[in-house]
Amino acid sequence: MQSDKGFFGRFGGSYIPEILHASQQALLNAWNQASVDADFLAEVDRELQQYSGRPTPLTPCPNLSRELGGAQVFLKREDLNHSGAHKMNNVIGQGLLVKRMGKKRIIAETGAGQHGVASALIAARLGLECTIYMGARDIERQYPNVFWMKQLGATVVPVTSGGQTLRDALDEALRDWSADPSGSHYLIGTACGCAPYPEMVAEFQSVIGREVRAQSLQQFGALPDSIYACVGGGSNAAGIMLPFIDDQSVELVGVEAGGRGPAPGDHSIRLSDNLGSPGIAQGFATMFLQDDQGQLMETHSIAAGLDYVGVSPILAHLNDTGRVRMTAANDDEVMHAFQTLLRCEGIIPALESSHAVAGALRDIPAMSPDKKVVINISGRGDKDIFNVASAVKDTEFGPFLQRYLERELQA
Amino acid sequence: MSRLQTFIEQQRKDKPILLMTHVVYGYPTIDESLALMRDLLSEGVELLEVQFPFTDPSADGPSILHACHQALQQRPTLARCLADIAAIGREFPASRILLMSYLNPLYRYGLARLPRDAANAGIAGFIVPDLPLELADDFRHSCVAAQIEPIWMLTPETPPARMQQICAAASGMLYCVSRRGVTGADKATSPQNRNQHEDQPLEDYLAAIRTTTALPLAVGFGIRTGTQVQALHGLADIAVVGSGLLDAFNRGGRTAALEQVRSVRG
Repeated sequence: MQSDKGFFGRFGGSYIPEILHASQQALLNAWNQASVDADFLAEVDRELQQYSGRPTPLTPCPNLSRELGGAQVFLKREDLNHSGAHKMNNVIGQGLLVKRMGKKRIIAETGAGQHGVASALIAARLGLECTIYMGARDIERQYPNVFWMKQLGATVVPVTSGGQTLRDALDEALRDWSADPSGSHYLIGTACGCAPYPEMVAEFQSVIGREVRAQSLQQFGALPDSIYACVGGGSNAAGIMLPFIDDQSVELVGVEAGGRGPAPGDHSIRLSDNLGSPGIAQGFATMFLQDDQGQLMETHSIAAGLDYVGVSPILAHLNDTGRVRMTAANDDEVMHAFQTLLRCEGIIPALESSHAVAGALRDIPAMSPDKKVVINISGRGDKDIFNVASAVKDTEFGPFLQRYLERELQA
Repeated sequence: MSRLQTFIEQQRKDKPILLMTHVVYGYPTIDESLALMRDLLSEGVELLEVQFPFTDPSADGPSILHACHQALQQRPTLARCLADIAAIGREFPASRILLMSYLNPLYRYGLARLPRDAANAGIAGFIVPDLPLELADDFRHSCVAAQIEPIWMLTPETPPARMQQICAAASGMLYCVSRRGVTGADKATSPQNRNQHEDQPLEDYLAAIRTTTALPLAVGFGIRTGTQVQALHGLADIAVVGSGLLDAFNRGGRTAALEQVRSVRG
């Protein structure tokens, strides 16, 4: 989706400190050239195929469809990307752009750690130096991802300011970029930030929607009737939705993190239910969760990847125009959806993606059986083993960890 | 010529350089921050930069970031901040006060009404690091109408063409960022193994700006010693001491902050 000088309706823009202006302009120029360069786009496609394993399948779900008794369900399997999430599509694109620009170092922020791992992977493959900022609280929640980032040779910097989560990590990444604007590239993980990041990340992710279009026509001879995606920063949603933006027959549904409930600090609902309000921070204008003084609020989700205070300006705009219908699923609904998919189809979705499943499960029983619904499984759930074990109150998991620790301490 | 520029030029007639000190409104409490502002103005600093805190100050280093987060525990409001500044401004008519904040708290307050309200509070100008010139047309018009100056920043990364564009749009004074990175002591904010570029010397950078504009030049970021301030004599009109003062305050309270001011004045 092309912006109007970096704006999507009333959202987007480049609200960055002056120190970053020259680098932002250089990135804008590099992207404008690369995005119409057939050789560059072919190189991205080749790497998506040979390194990440694309195309990812569109998986029919006959058991789930039968159980729900409504529309037919198909899953877009972004969980089958290398690294286990759609994040790979973006880091391959930006990584190759960094090489093209001749920069040697990337900076990334990460929340759950999926984008951090993807950045560390592409840095290793392309020979780039990599520094990753991660909130100290997120490190506590997601240490296994930190472990892999370090093994891959990345420097992981814990961020101890503020709420010590994704938003603080993003601020810290901007500070690092300010210290070395011409030598480093800020590899943002979602379709947020200053121009051209929202547009560029959404374009790299649009491979998801382009594949869904071709696979739908091939597998059931029509476009889907509805597409569901979870919305944290918004990159997997933008990626699967934008190729269908002009197909008015295709309903587009975004599902935010309803968390524990609508109280401030208990959720990450920026667009549905009138909980967010317009603001300008972290380099761009969008809908933020903020107080009456314009201070950004703390957020919560059972899925760390949705735990973000802002949202892509592209999604904020599509919500404004009504092209995308936004809704939210709370933590309990999400765990129920997670278990339903697991048992019906033998697929373990990420808790983030389980929000999209939860949103779809609510609507599908009321839809006619000839309708086709596509749910974006943006990532796999293996990473959520600790959260899920705790949520399902697995009695063996704790003692297992205890025995593991005892063995390690003795060794 | 704007009132702020006239003030700076009059002050500069018998002083080699002016001092702009910085206070985070609400740190460590609202009353203590107001007491520090009064101390600094009593000490005779010509310009006072009052920072209204924001949760995500992306151009600030650890010292100011921490102070902003502490200040937010006091739940400060911009309306009360303006009223408090108005009271202080009336007590110290020989100095000028600038309001610094990030865009979002100002945007929530209302960018259309803020310039008038701030001018009524006696504030001479705004410093908003994440508001770039090209997205500020409406705000600039409101500032012109209210006779208050939006103060634009130049950095060592600003290309010559853009420097000319900013200088042409500027009024009151220019804020020249002394180096790359965020506010505060240089060492703390340097990422490990960052690419080292050939930095142009500060005097060349400031001389290049001087050939482009006759506006007063303020220099900030990493300025914290008397030696650094003296080195700016003849190159700039105002030395900005921000994090250095805050670090002194954190070590020894208002007494230490005042000692720091005396020491940088030399």
